[in-house]
Amino acid sequence: MIRILKETPNLTPEEIVEKTNLSIDQIRRGIEWLKLKNLAVVLESEKSFASLGKNGLASIEVGLPERKLVNLIGGQPMAFDELRKKLLDEINIAIANAKRNDWITIQKEESSSMVSLKKKPEQTSEEKLISFIGQNKVPLDQIKDQSALESLKKRPDYIIIETIKSKTVSLTDEAKVIDVDSIGSGAIDVTADAPVVFAARTHPLKDVINEIRETFVSLGFTEILGNLAQPSFWNFDALFTPQDHPAREMQDTFYIKGKTAEKFATPEQISQVSQSHKNGWKYDWNVDAAKKMVLRTHTTCVTIKYLAENKPEDARVFSLGRVFRNEKVSYKHLVEFNQVEGIVVGKNVSLRDLMGIQKEFYRKMGLYKIKFWPTFFPYTEPSLQTMVYNEKLDKWVELFGMGIFRPEVTKPFGITRPVLAWGGGIERIAMLKYGLDDVREFYNNNLGWLRNASKCQ
Amino acid sequence: MPVVTLYLDRLQKLVGVKANKILKVLPFLGLDIEEEQKEFVRVEYSPNRPDYATDVGIASGLQGLLGVKKGLVKLNIKKEKKKFLIKSDQSVKKIRPFLSAIIAKNGKLDDESIRQLIALQEDLHFGIGRRRKKASIGIHNLDSVSSPLRYTTVPKDHKFVPLAMTQSITIKEILEKTGVGKEYSHILGNKSKVPIILDANNQTVSFPPIINSALTAVSTGTVNLLVEVTGIDKKAVDDSLSVVSATLQNLGFTLCDVVVDSKNSSEAFKARSIPLDPLLVNQILGLNLTITQICDSLKKCRLDAIPRGKKIVCSIPRFRFDILGAMDLVEEIALGHGIENLSPSLPPSVSVGQKSSVTKKLDHLSHIMIGLGFTEALNSSLTSKQVLYDYTKRDSSQIIEVAESKSQEYAVLRDSILPGLLGNLSKNIHESYPQKLFETGVVFSKGSPIAETITLACVSAHKDTSFTEIKSILQAALKTDSNIICKTVASTHPTFARGKTADIILNDKKVGTIGEIDAEVIGNFKIRVPVSGFEIMLAGFIF
Repeated sequence: MIRILKETPNLTPEEIVEKTNLSIDQIRRGIEWLKLKNLAVVLESEKSFASLGKNGLASIEVGLPERKLVNLIGGQPMAFDELRKKLLDEINIAIANAKRNDWITIQKEESSSMVSLKKKPEQTSEEKLISFIGQNKVPLDQIKDQSALESLKKRPDYIIIETIKSKTVSLTDEAKVIDVDSIGSGAIDVTADAPVVFAARTHPLKDVINEIRETFVSLGFTEILGNLAQPSFWNFDALFTPQDHPAREMQDTFYIKGKTAEKFATPEQISQVSQSHKNGWKYDWNVDAAKKMVLRTHTTCVTIKYLAENKPEDARVFSLGRVFRNEKVSYKHLVEFNQVEGIVVGKNVSLRDLMGIQKEFYRKMGLYKIKFWPTFFPYTEPSLQTMVYNEKLDKWVELFGMGIFRPEVTKPFGITRPVLAWGGGIERIAMLKYGLDDVREFYNNNLGWLRNASKCQ
Repeated sequence: MPVVTLYLDRLQKLVGVKANKILKVLPFLGLDIEEEQKEFVRVEYSPNRPDYATDVGIASGLQGLLGVKKGLVKLNIKKEKKKFLIKSDQSVKKIRPFLSAIIAKNGKLDDESIRQLIALQEDLHFGIGRRRKKASIGIHNLDSVSSPLRYTTVPKDHKFVPLAMTQSITIKEILEKTGVGKEYSHILGNKSKVPIILDANNQTVSFPPIINSALTAVSTGTVNLLVEVTGIDKKAVDDSLSVVSATLQNLGFTLCDVVVDSKNSSEAFKARSIPLDPLLVNQILGLNLTITQICDSLKKCRLDAIPRGKKIVCSIPRFRFDILGAMDLVEEIALGHGIENLSPSLPPSVSVGQKSSVTKKLDHLSHIMIGLGFTEALNSSLTSKQVLYDYTKRDSSQIIEVAESKSQEYAVLRDSILPGLLGNLSKNIHESYPQKLFETGVVFSKGSPIAETITLACVSAHKDTSFTEIKSILQAALKTDSNIICKTVASTHPTFARGKTADIILNDKKVGTIGEIDAEVIGNFKIRVPVSGFEIMLAGFIF
């Protein structure tokens, strides 16, 4: 196309088809590509054409009425009535035009008028135009004799004028200098778009989980794991949650149908926890309620079990994983999400240390503007929450909660040193990182999103 | 967490401090600002502080932190010459044994105070009262009843006009036809008689824990109130009454004694003492506060504190039952001292952290799968029976369900990851192919009581996928890094196509299944291209 347009600018797509032997679809697509690369411009224009109407076409064979008239007359003058019998209703126009051409004279006699030739009837400009147009559509700008055209237009059904919209393609200056012949040498268009492929990748949420895990490790914490299904004992009782607490109801917590744990703790642990509930909450603790299997509602059950089993004097551990809540799923709530929780056990660790570790954690996660507010958690005292300033939302958002485990939680397991604990939901941080406002996106596994998601913070 | 609306002009008057100062302090009282408007703020308060359900309660806390009024909020209970009496009948002992009451006199109630009192009542019913089971509160117009009252039981044909109604109906009708009746009737069980409070003239005062009588309705004109709390838990009953009493006193009422079964109700409202060691305070907070500073911080939290030798004795008002011991006082001191005045510090540490070995192995495996061109998917452990068993034609006899899930989509614990991946493919049919997904995660099976193990599953969906392709992937996944070589032995599996299915065998043990997915299964998931895949247990050889 470039080669052809270089030779002849302003071609219509149809004209290019003729010259290239390509299909109209190929040409149209080619024109779009050239336009996209700024190599061609397409001008839309209107063009008018003249063609012959019914009478005009007939006149090619039989001549115009005035030509018919002079052909009838020949050398001898003819009576008007005779002529009228032959020419019928064309008689008047034939006489008028023949007179205008100065071809005939009319003599009035007694019975009738006689018409005779005055001089040799030459071909008129109108006749020339008719034979020029012939069977074709002729662009108006190719018709030089406009007065002949105007005159023919006055006759009924001689001339049809049509206006056709057309596109013409020509090259831009950039295209005009392309060395078309070098293309044959194997050079390709290196600026052209390549087909889209997608890299296989880690799930974006997993990226954030991994980042958080690395951050804990870099702060000197060791990872501990635990089961997702837990006896109520470790999920609730060991954390001093009274057995009639609303959080333990089925409408908040997933109980596994027909599943109870038989061996879940040592008799010593069970009796100590029972005593702690009796002293603190003043009710009779029931071991059967502690046996019921639940899907863990937090990772704290893993932490407390670790503390109970290891009774560390000094420790920095963390647990990370799925937790469950029997909620209605919405743009901000999931039934299953990820939580991380870290603890520090030590002789002289304090609330200020807990705040310091938080600050360091967030700094490593790239969050610098933080502050602390008091809050309430059932198994820590004192309790604080971290507020992180979100530049995009221009407000403080609540992130991890923290506190020191209540003595009612630690004492039954023989832990006397303070246990600093903090943690929270990971999806919330991941939403900030990926600029999402619907948490469900993380679990939709929508390939369109998985293939294209990118971090914004 | 519960939310309370605070009108700023009202709050300014109550506290005696300008609103802009108040707004800055609210979060440091443990109140999260949910919504801030010109005329009001909505704050979230903790369930352990029901005394913050009203603006008068919050005002009292703010006065402390702002230094306007410090020290103990005492409940002053006047003993009157002419005692108001309530006698309980032996018959209530087996149904709802406990009743406590108080009188509040000469107060003024406006619409906003009434609205807040009702909100407080609802909060106490829900929390401490455990949806009215352990304790429920009735607030009455004292002037419409005559002492002595009787707390007794009546049969279900007993009639009275319940609150907000104009006609007398029977207890049976209340339980069966009204909203509150239907919601709370289960608390009373199937007993033939129900608890009732009648006055000296045998007029019905209240039908606990369901509804009050219209007779005693409280309105803006009411000046004298009777508050009774009934329940099955003595502590919950007295806790609830103490919060309502403190609130009424804050609203300007004078509290007066009621004699219940010849016991003065004021007995239950005494402040408690807890000894506190300043060393504990300084250790936990990481500070060096003097005894005087500690006492001042406690007073800012509306408690009293007196130094006694090297210790401190704290007085706690009855309605601060959230304070269980010394550690709760440490938190009060942190609040009184000001959380904003605590500077973060870093504890010394020489510990070296590390990931668990399982996490490390799973990370490796994920990298290998990604290297093989598979994208990681994440699905919930909770799924639906439809996806897990019906669509995949798998045997559901070992199904593990959770009770009362709010959604059928999350009602069953997965015993396999593959069905979830097929579900993912079915939701991506408009995306370009090939589609290759993998997931690692916990699957559940019956054990003692439940076994959890980690598996790896993957699917490859495109027009040319085959058993051979997916077996190449399996081989590479196990060979790279771990150098594990497995065998595949012809087998059948409902999810996989006949003749194109194999067991994955490792050390003569079946560890998984591999193959082309059955055409009917593909159809069930409305997938339009062939799919092959495998799932393999990792425990025992990867880790």
